[in-house]
Amino acid sequence: MKFTESMLRDYVQSSLSAEAIADLLTMTGFELEEITEVEGEKVLDINIMANRGDGASVLGMAREVLAKDSNAKPTDLYLRATERFPASDAGNRDIWAKTSVAVETPNCTRYACRVFEGLSNGDAPGWIQERLRKVGQRPISLLVDLTNYVMLETGQPLHAFDLDKLAGERIVVRQAEKGEKLTTLDGTEHELQPSQMMICDASRPVAVAGVMGGEDTEVGATTTRCLLESAHFVNTSVRATRKALGLFTEASYRFERHVDPEGVVAALNRFAELLYEATGNRPIGGVLDVYPIKPELSTLKVRVSKASALLGMPVSFDEAREALKRLGYVISGQDGETLTIVPPTWRIDIQREEDLVEEIGRVVGYEKIPEALPIGSTPLGGAHGFELLVDTVREQLLRSGLDQTISHSLRDVHPLDAPTERVMVRNPHAPEMAYLRNSMLPSLCDAAIRNGGNNLHLFEIGRAHAAGSEETLLGILSVGAFEGPSWSPRDTTQADFFSLKGIVEAVARALRICLELKRGTMDPRFHPTRQARVFLGGVEVGVFGQIHPERADETDLPASAVLGEINLSQVPLKQDAQINLRSVSRNPAARRDIAILIDKKVPYSELEAAIVSAGGSELEKHWLFDIYDGQGVPDGQHSLAIALQFRKVGSNFTDEEANALRDQIIGALTALGGKLR
Amino acid sequence: MEQISTLEAEALAAIRSAKNTADLREVELKYLGKNGLISGLMRGIGALPNEEKPIFGAKVNECRARVEGELGARNHELRQAELLRQFEAERIDITLPSRSARVGKEHILQQTTNKIKRVLGSMGFVYMESPELEDFKYNFDALNYPPDHPAMDEQDTFYVEDRKVLRTQCTALQGRVFESTKPPLRVFTVGRTFRNEAVDRTHSHTFHQVDCFMIDRGINMAHLKGTLGVFAREMFGPEVTVRFRPDFFPFVEPGVDYAISTPKLFGGKWVELGGAGLIHPNILESYGIDPEEFSGFAFGLGVERIPMMAYGVDDLRLFLENDLRFLSQFA
Repeated sequence: MKFTESMLRDYVQSSLSAEAIADLLTMTGFELEEITEVEGEKVLDINIMANRGDGASVLGMAREVLAKDSNAKPTDLYLRATERFPASDAGNRDIWAKTSVAVETPNCTRYACRVFEGLSNGDAPGWIQERLRKVGQRPISLLVDLTNYVMLETGQPLHAFDLDKLAGERIVVRQAEKGEKLTTLDGTEHELQPSQMMICDASRPVAVAGVMGGEDTEVGATTTRCLLESAHFVNTSVRATRKALGLFTEASYRFERHVDPEGVVAALNRFAELLYEATGNRPIGGVLDVYPIKPELSTLKVRVSKASALLGMPVSFDEAREALKRLGYVISGQDGETLTIVPPTWRIDIQREEDLVEEIGRVVGYEKIPEALPIGSTPLGGAHGFELLVDTVREQLLRSGLDQTISHSLRDVHPLDAPTERVMVRNPHAPEMAYLRNSMLPSLCDAAIRNGGNNLHLFEIGRAHAAGSEETLLGILSVGAFEGPSWSPRDTTQADFFSLKGIVEAVARALRICLELKRGTMDPRFHPTRQARVFLGGVEVGVFGQIHPERADETDLPASAVLGEINLSQVPLKQDAQINLRSVSRNPAARRDIAILIDKKVPYSELEAAIVSAGGSELEKHWLFDIYDGQGVPDGQHSLAIALQFRKVGSNFTDEEANALRDQIIGALTALGGKLR
Repeated sequence: MEQISTLEAEALAAIRSAKNTADLREVELKYLGKNGLISGLMRGIGALPNEEKPIFGAKVNECRARVEGELGARNHELRQAELLRQFEAERIDITLPSRSARVGKEHILQQTTNKIKRVLGSMGFVYMESPELEDFKYNFDALNYPPDHPAMDEQDTFYVEDRKVLRTQCTALQGRVFESTKPPLRVFTVGRTFRNEAVDRTHSHTFHQVDCFMIDRGINMAHLKGTLGVFAREMFGPEVTVRFRPDFFPFVEPGVDYAISTPKLFGGKWVELGGAGLIHPNILESYGIDPEEFSGFAFGLGVERIPMMAYGVDDLRLFLENDLRFLSQFA
């Protein structure tokens, strides 16, 4: 809301500068957006809170200044505004002969009007035009400018109709009928719905109630007779209608935030005063005021002790009472330390004791609240359960040397999307943010491409959405060298299926879970013979492997890239991760190496199971150290070189014992079709 | 006896003429080894008269000790020279570039989140999370938003269904917690939030928020200010002070926005961090919590704001673009 310094000073006498007043308003909740200097005068732009429609007026701002600045004095204009601009013709009924008003919808709680005749709708007085210009409004004509000016002053939107253009010269406030149309002042034709409240004449809608007038009945250069509307509408009705029609006006802004229903006639009177000052023209006597639904005036009690307790600072009874009085509250009673209050009709946001505590607090000043720390029962803070599990996974991946990425959830479709149904948002700003991701892999691909597309090892943990589900996924993308270019390279390996497998296994170890891999073939994102499905306790929790060469082409990733995803939401939370401690032998180990010729179709996991089973507890460890399928190896077979390390607790292995255990293992491998080479 | 001194003189001469430790090792073997010449002298002892045997033995041992002493000294001398040559040969240029250790880099938003979690966790706030695709009920209704209120306009909302939205605020966790947990309680969350806005330097449709709240007996605005004070000083430095200014959020009453000021940042100006207040009694009552017995506070702020303010990052888009040239500056 913009207003000039002089408009405010018309209402409040203060020795403070415009800047100091702006600071004071900021500290009372009405934050200064900016002060600008326009045509030699300071213009304040103040941000109005969504529950403070009363602030969208010079009168409201003046009230806040008076509450906070104890040296400020109200002007005569302010006092007349608080008395609702009394008019001498209040009891006159001349207007009844000129027009009539019927309110047929509960969305209109009050409708009042005045009628002016013998007008000449020229220019508004220079000082009004100037003030409107300064706050960024374009002067249009005397009648229009006065409605806008009075709205700025009092917060009450007004609308001037050309009475000669109103069919039947009367007003009916009702819901639109289906099929009715109205062209608003901005030249747009609207097809109306019964949910929308209209101001109508005897035959048709002439204005969207609380939002915008119609083109046909607007005042113009030839207007001599004017019906001036001032009304109060239910805020949710105005809001729904202006949203449906795609309109947004100064009037609807105020009605949505609540306008004082008791100020309806006051605004008509203020308009009449200003018109008389400008032209000497007086209205037809009297105000037509249809007021079917009056605001319910309730009383509220506030305990000063409660105010002190909630604010965390001592507030005295006198301070509390003064604060409320200065804000225009009527104190209807006091009992001990309790004040009984009738909230003003411009403050529908004041509904319970805590609201009054805030009012007292903001006048006394939040800067007086000290800092203290809460006492009382303190839980064990920090992450527990699933959140802790996610922390563990993330820390493990960082230790494995992967860089963390964090990406948008909203994105476009991508070749690496999971094969589940995507969730779409209804009203995206752009197609590239139309879908919620169902996988981390597209985001990781984007991140890889952004950073050159090679020699990158990335992970992201985030939420993914498929129809009806939101789960936390771990995505990994690993491609190229692990070590940067060097004059002295040590690790010259490149990321492949097995390096990624090691990363996945490290995560499983960190979580103390046992993942089982099964050969996959079907996931179109992965190379069909280089993909693994990941199972945990029989439940499929993920997939990883080398990228499908066609996906690599589509995404510009190298065909050697490996990637995968684990659904962390599927990992059960372990209450007590047990470690079964083994004693450490102080005896030396015996090592035997074997080379086994075997059909390539036999998975190594089967050999491994046989080795472990045959080796028993004295097989301390074993490892595969070479795979050979060159000269001397029959077609379809390969030679696996496996190291076996034996150790006993309490005694040493003899050569004979070691050989015997080795032969036992060879026997088990022979049973699988293997042959000692 | 003469035999002994001759052999000793010969041995000492050999020691002196050894050019390196390998030569010396040969000398040692020749004279002092198991089958060495000095050891061999002892074999002749049997032929001597009994009374001469001890004298001869003592002489041989003295000879051996002298040769050993000389050998040790010479060995040390030669070894030192050899080491010096070796060190010279092994000289490296320590200014050559390193072979970098592979260290996974944590995203700046994660580092910020970790710090938030450490500070609030250590103050007894339990970390929890809630869905990003949230029921309208938790995002608005449960937070005391009147139906169709202009306050919702400040949060352009992504709808997926009529009553399913991408949460516009992490405050949406509160209703979920109050449903299942009786006070006293202290909870916080860090998560992503969504607003249907076009993206530019200072706007994004996706950003992260902290939301922190507690309910207990006698909780007031001073406790809120104190907790925020500790939090802000941990995040921005020990000289930070906190200012409250009235503001409106449907879920708090009184409601404030809080700003911080420190002589070190932003020229000592007040910089708004987020919204806060006492949890609205309507909310407490709707979850069966008696506002006469319990009160609580809540505060929220944007996670991105923290590194933006602390490091002067001036483009919000950088946080979710994953450009390692940006991210590696923080890790």
